[in-house]
Amino acid sequence: MSLEARLQTASAEYQKLQSDLAHSVDARTRLDTQLSENEMVKKEFAQLTPSNTVYKLVGPVLVHQDQAEAKTNVETRLEFIRGEIKRVDGQIKETEAKSDKKKDELVEIQAALQQAQSQTSG
Amino acid sequence: MASPQPQQINVADLDIQQLADVRRQLEEELNHLTNSFAQLKQAQAKFKSCIENVAEVKPQNKGNTILVPLTNSLYVPGRLTDPEHVIVDVGTGYYVKKSRAQAIKYYEAKVDYIRTNLDSLQETISKKQDNMNYLVNVMQAKLQAQSQIAKT
Repeated sequence: MSLEARLQTASAEYQKLQSDLAHSVDARTRLDTQLSENEMVKKEFAQLTPSNTVYKLVGPVLVHQDQAEAKTNVETRLEFIRGEIKRVDGQIKETEAKSDKKKDELVEIQAALQQAQSQTSG
Repeated sequence: MASPQPQQINVADLDIQQLADVRRQLEEELNHLTNSFAQLKQAQAKFKSCIENVAEVKPQNKGNTILVPLTNSLYVPGRLTDPEHVIVDVGTGYYVKKSRAQAIKYYEAKVDYIRTNLDSLQETISKKQDNMNYLVNVMQAKLQAQSQIAKT
């Protein structure tokens, strides 16, 4: 394969990796917001007295829910979100490593290309 | 923050083009921060008006007729039967029935929480503004020096 073609495919791959990375970072920020919101709810639930009835919004109606049930619900949600954050963090690291490698490859190809050009002209 | 200390290198070493770039970046950050500040202020005002509204649901008003909005323009008459309890949205789709005192405490805590956020945001904003002022000063000095060189 010619150097130009290699450069083109490599830069396309690099761009794809960059957009993947942006996607993952986006997802990570969203998860962070969800985590803090759920933690706020958990803190609120911790202060409830038995007289406080808990309702859950299901579509347009408020459905009565046990305090204990609501608490475990939020707890599982928090666990799920933490798991997702770990997964996305791993993804980000992986993509970063991959894109770093691609960058090195790109620099290498470019250097080779320049050398080839100076040889043909010189 | 992307760059709380953007000047690792001395600003005086940069040329005018680079200074303008840094300035644009700082302007963007400042814009974003002041927007967040305004949003937080709005949220705080909302919680404050909630406190006032809860204060209106008092025992003296029990049995009074009120108008309940069904849509923006359609109201039906209703009667206040339980002035002791209100239902509070605590986030993520959960609502909790609270006594009035509890509800007011909840909203006060919210307002306070936002205030601490606002304070720290204010600090960041003024720091950025200081950076910006310094940068503009350096830029002006550079421009002056340049025009002087052009004259001689």
